[in-house]
Amino acid sequence: MKLIPNFNSPLALRIIFAISIFILLFITSVSYKHNRDLQNSSKLMMHTYEINIQLERLLSFVKDAETGQRGYIITKNSRFLAPYLFSRDKVNRSFIKLKKLMNDNPKQQQNLKNLFDLIIQRYTYLEGSLKYSNEKTYDKRKLDNCMFGGRIVMENIRFQIDEMNDVEKDILQKRQKIYQSEISLTPIFSIILFLVALSFILLSYRQISNDLNRLKVFNKKLLISTKLMAESEIIGAFSTWQWDMDSDKIVYSDNQYRLLGYPPNSFVPKKETFLEYVHPEDKQAFSSLMQGIIENKQLPLIYYKVIRKNGEIRYFKTIGKLLIDEQGSKIMLGITFDITEEHFQNIAIYERNKELEKSNKELASFNHVASHDLQEPLRKIQTFISRISDDDMNSLSESGKGYILKIGTSAKRMRILIDDLLLFSRTNTTKKEFLKTNITDLLEKAKLELSEIIQEKNAIILADKLPKLHVIPYQIEQLFINLISNSLKYSQPNIAPKINIFCEKITAKEFPDLLEQSIKKYYKITFTDNGMGFDPQFKETIFVLFQRLHTKTDEYPGTGIGLAICKKIVENHKGHIIADSTPNKGSVFTIFLPE
Amino acid sequence: MQKNALHILLADDDEDDRLFFKDAFEEVKIQTKVQFAHDGIELMAHLMHPETILPDILFLDLNMPKKTGKECLIEIKKTEHLKHLIVAIYSTSSSEEDIEDTFIQGANIYIKKPSSFDALKKIINEVVTLNWHYHTSGLNRDTFLLRLK
Amino acid sequence: MKLFIKFDINTVCSQFLKEKLEERQINYTPLGFGEIELDKNLTSEELDCMKNDLEPFGLEIVENQKSVLVQKIKDAIIEMVFMDENGNNLKSSVYLAEKLNHSYGYLSNIFSEVTYSSIENFIILQKIERAKHLIIINEMSLTEIAFLLNYSSVAHLSTQFKNTTGITPSAFQRIIKKRRENLK
Repeated sequence: MKLIPNFNSPLALRIIFAISIFILLFITSVSYKHNRDLQNSSKLMMHTYEINIQLERLLSFVKDAETGQRGYIITKNSRFLAPYLFSRDKVNRSFIKLKKLMNDNPKQQQNLKNLFDLIIQRYTYLEGSLKYSNEKTYDKRKLDNCMFGGRIVMENIRFQIDEMNDVEKDILQKRQKIYQSEISLTPIFSIILFLVALSFILLSYRQISNDLNRLKVFNKKLLISTKLMAESEIIGAFSTWQWDMDSDKIVYSDNQYRLLGYPPNSFVPKKETFLEYVHPEDKQAFSSLMQGIIENKQLPLIYYKVIRKNGEIRYFKTIGKLLIDEQGSKIMLGITFDITEEHFQNIAIYERNKELEKSNKELASFNHVASHDLQEPLRKIQTFISRISDDDMNSLSESGKGYILKIGTSAKRMRILIDDLLLFSRTNTTKKEFLKTNITDLLEKAKLELSEIIQEKNAIILADKLPKLHVIPYQIEQLFINLISNSLKYSQPNIAPKINIFCEKITAKEFPDLLEQSIKKYYKITFTDNGMGFDPQFKETIFVLFQRLHTKTDEYPGTGIGLAICKKIVENHKGHIIADSTPNKGSVFTIFLPE
Repeated sequence: MQKNALHILLADDDEDDRLFFKDAFEEVKIQTKVQFAHDGIELMAHLMHPETILPDILFLDLNMPKKTGKECLIEIKKTEHLKHLIVAIYSTSSSEEDIEDTFIQGANIYIKKPSSFDALKKIINEVVTLNWHYHTSGLNRDTFLLRLK
Repeated sequence: MKLFIKFDINTVCSQFLKEKLEERQINYTPLGFGEIELDKNLTSEELDCMKNDLEPFGLEIVENQKSVLVQKIKDAIIEMVFMDENGNNLKSSVYLAEKLNHSYGYLSNIFSEVTYSSIENFIILQKIERAKHLIIINEMSLTEIAFLLNYSSVAHLSTQFKNTTGITPSAFQRIIKKRRENLK
């Protein structure tokens, strides 16, 4: 039996929680990274747009310069020249910005450098056209060259800017593609992880709540059993106490206080208080016992008396056992019984036993009296009668002779009675030693004992194989002798006696009225004879002491004790004997002996 | 058959029994000399006396005052010069325990006191004859056991 | 320590007699059955001396003729009973008459006259004596003993044992065993 229920492995729960927390942390970090990616992506976009704008602006500055210059050439108004003049500065600033922005990309830097070269070239053409358009230095061919060259360079600039924009766009697209894939994957992954974590948490929640429920049930049971224990201590008049041998802390159960005559928990038990309640007569034995507990950590069974608070004397029995728990601390567990009632009952039983012993002794002395003192005078009567010689007899009157004869007969009968009575009482008083004995051997012995009369009567005795049983051998032998000699005695005149002995194993259930049901199996041994039998109405009474079915004639001598002895012997063996008969056909004696 | 009479000693506290015993021996064919002890103490004193001629058969009643027959028997069997005495227990008791016990203690014969004079004579005759056989025919006295009813 | 000694009483006696007579320088011829013939006649004094010598050992000089014959009968019976082979199968009356050269009737009469008991009784006594001996040695079962002593059955032996001693063979065995335990 498992004493402590298994509250499902806190370890497993801990692992579940650890996994859940890990998943949550993971999700958090993923989200964080996701966020960062988003940020990066927008930054990159901004960057690209910025470059784009800057490049556009650069182009527009160059265009401004071109437009202004063209206006000036046409109008010759120097006001138109202002944007051209400022544009250089603006282009320069724009370049610096672009350079900064394209710091991380060597290819773009190269492009930027090309662009810069182209712009410088453009400006060179602008200056040339400005120079050759001036009235002072006008040169139509050169101006045309410059104008035309400027236009081609402008085309190149545009081309270059477009290329640069394309490069940026390319980068943007590539990065965005990467981010996009990352960003689109993360939510699914996060949701899955989240669900897993959630299910873990739910699972452990269920476990915890289950455990809680079980704990509740067990707590309830514990509460009940504690209650029951306390109740049973009260009902059984016993108590328990624990003595922590290391800290000398002693705990009494409630009933321990009650047994001592105090309300529960009315004082704090200490080593010293143990002795306080012990009866002065037992104090010494008890204190040496306490010493034994402290020194040997043993508490053998002790009987002692205590005096209760109200002065009442109670008889106690205490036994203890040293328990060592997993932490190695030694606790003496003690059980104390209030055995006052038993004590007085024992005294009563003891006295009754003594009385029984006394009466048994009296019975034994009766035996002695019967075997010696009663026989002594009787024997002398008989001997003195036998000493009356024929001469003496002849001098007596006829009636005198008759009286002497009658005295003799009576004395003889009395002797038989005493002998039989002795035999009967001996079947009960002599030692009953049960030995495993082969019953067949005992039957053989009985036949041997009766061999003379068996021969004389030409009797035939047939027997089944008999079992080996735990019996008092000489008594069973006596039983067989009595049963066989009974059959031989009451045989039919002129018919050789025949006795059949059958044996079979039976169960007690088959004979519910006869047999003790607590013993399961019996051997049923039947003695069937072909004798004169008896009237079945006497089948009970023939087992009664001194009960005779025949009149006191010499033809069938006996005192009617043989069957009474049989009954006694069978009863000594916790068995049963019954008889049945058909007059002039024969009798059946059935004995049941426990297996 | 014998020049010397057979020495018989009976220890019995009962006067009547001693009388029956004496009469019975007088009627037995064998020549005997019968002596009596009245109780166990007298018997032991007699047997221990250096001048006593030891009896051929000692008849011993079990139920005697002062010292019982059983005590006498045990004492006799413990005494070097007495332990080969033929001891016949002569008792009223027919209890199997008494019989077996005295045999174990070393008695040779157990006689239940009979209730007729003729039976007594018959028993005495039987004992004396058998004892004589043991005496004259080299039979083993250690295994001489006889129970008479 | 306990020893069982199986002995032949005849050998013991004759050996012992030989020693005693040689001690006194008397020459003799054994005739069997306890009868010896001396080379010379002894004086009554010498005879008394010899008597005194032998008496403490249970040996007795038999003087009466009838007693001599009875002793011969007894010896013959003992020899018959203790003889293991076939001896017990012979009819004892025939055996004795042949052995001692007298009619059985005559022997029987003499025996009863001297011992007050019959030859048959004496034979039973000796057989039971042998049975006792065999029981004590404890080498044979009762069945084997009954067979050896020519009884028709164990029952027959037991009955005769009980009739002769008053106790059963098993009680006898038990008593002797307990006696020995008592002595220890």
